[in-house]
Amino acid sequence: MTATSLTDPVEQARAVAEYCYEQGWTDGLPVVPATKAGIEEFLAAAGRAPDEIIGSVAHLRRSVTVAQAAANAIMAGCRPEYFPVVLAAWQALHLERSVRGAWQSTSGPAPLIVVNGPVRSRLGINCAGGVFGPGFRANATIARAIGLIVRNGYGVRPHELEQATQGVPGRWSLCLGENEELSPWEPFSAVGGVAPGVDAVSAVLIRCCEYVDNRATDSAEAVLTDLADTLARIGAFVGGGHSSGGLVLGPEHAQLLGQAGYSRAGVQQWLFTRAVRDRADLAAAGKGDGPGSDPAQAGAAFRMMPSAAGIPILVAGAANAAISMVFRPFGWAPWSGRAVPVAWPPADPEV
Amino acid sequence: MFDNLIDPTIGSADDGGPDPVTLASRPETLAGLRLGLLANPKRNAEQFLDQVARLLAEQHGVKPVLARMKHDITDTAPERILDDLRTQCDVVVIGVGDCGSCSASAVADGLLLEQAGIPAAVICSDAFRVSADAMAGLRGAPGYQYVTTPHPVANLSPDGVRDRAAAALPAVVGLLTRPGATASS
Repeated sequence: MTATSLTDPVEQARAVAEYCYEQGWTDGLPVVPATKAGIEEFLAAAGRAPDEIIGSVAHLRRSVTVAQAAANAIMAGCRPEYFPVVLAAWQALHLERSVRGAWQSTSGPAPLIVVNGPVRSRLGINCAGGVFGPGFRANATIARAIGLIVRNGYGVRPHELEQATQGVPGRWSLCLGENEELSPWEPFSAVGGVAPGVDAVSAVLIRCCEYVDNRATDSAEAVLTDLADTLARIGAFVGGGHSSGGLVLGPEHAQLLGQAGYSRAGVQQWLFTRAVRDRADLAAAGKGDGPGSDPAQAGAAFRMMPSAAGIPILVAGAANAAISMVFRPFGWAPWSGRAVPVAWPPADPEV
Repeated sequence: MFDNLIDPTIGSADDGGPDPVTLASRPETLAGLRLGLLANPKRNAEQFLDQVARLLAEQHGVKPVLARMKHDITDTAPERILDDLRTQCDVVVIGVGDCGSCSASAVADGLLLEQAGIPAAVICSDAFRVSADAMAGLRGAPGYQYVTTPHPVANLSPDGVRDRAAAALPAVVGLLTRPGATASS
């Protein structure tokens, strides 16, 4: 770099981006430089103290402070007013029992971050078309911030402590708003214990999504049958007492089910009962020596889902095609079933 | 160059660098020593260690006295298990680290025992050298040596496990008895 170019702020910006790469601070994409002034803005937006520890991994001897999370959120491209959502997402992830081993796991799971409440429109969090992204700053950068905190805060980097075999597409980019307006049911956050209308974040670690495209029927049971078939897929079963699954229902499927009289719990129960496999199917795929092989249970269908309530169901996307997504919660511990209210600073609740 | 730039890897002031680990001194021979096993719940781990113990007893005169399994693949073994191993065993074999988390945590367990003066031989599959090495550095023992066995371990038949344990045995014995073999700087 020449002396002339160093005086050019645009060239300086490029040089800073390169410097951050050289330090190993990025996820492969350029980052926004974090400064003390920037961190103070973020702390003010969240009303939080800089040194508060918000996460620790004892076996790695690392912990993360609010100020450090702010630095990484800045780098991810967040605006200050996103930071309370980032912190709530981080807290929600730490409610997941499976989170401790997730960052080092060969399965390379992705946090699926779900936002409910009026904050969606205030921050421009997409909950409609193209909800899995890309194209929306809040969705993209809130999820990315989590990834940078794991990398830089916990020191878990690919090809080192991070040992993902293939990883999950969208690992640090899955943040979506629930399409509450087109959902027939109470907000997903209400299932997680936060009152409807309150800004809240839920999170679940997932091992990928698989679409269920069914525009061919007006039968709720036909759609449920289609969903149950994908939920019960053997490939996602990794042993143990059950497989795992959840749904991001497109609004059309959700409304079809709602109009047919199904509550969310009714859908969960239907799927829990019918997402089953014969034990012989598991054995044929070489997965027959787990609990499903219990001779006392021979002949009985093996329930692939952990429980009815252990099938998280939310609604997102556009009402322009009858498409839904099955996702796979990571690990044997089911979704925590808890949402975290977004904590806004008391003096300025309307960011 | 960019003095105003914040380093995002710096967090709590309590996150100091690790204290260097002093490794346990090694016995000249294993004959008569009390052997402990620390398995993780991954498929074939316990069976692998059982075979190593059998061979150590048959060929080197060790006395297998304790076999424990930890149920968490991420964290180090619970204190009560480590306590049992520290107080009832002279040498310990740990494994099998054959996943992203458990290979690193097997090394961490080994170093906790080394610090208490118990020579440990950690067995990891060769696919996870990087995370095992990273944990050794994180725990203040860069270059900590362990035994590798080819990946994968989980899909081995009982005969396969037996063969692998036999193949690993010389390295296990070497790590438990050879002074200086467990550290490089």
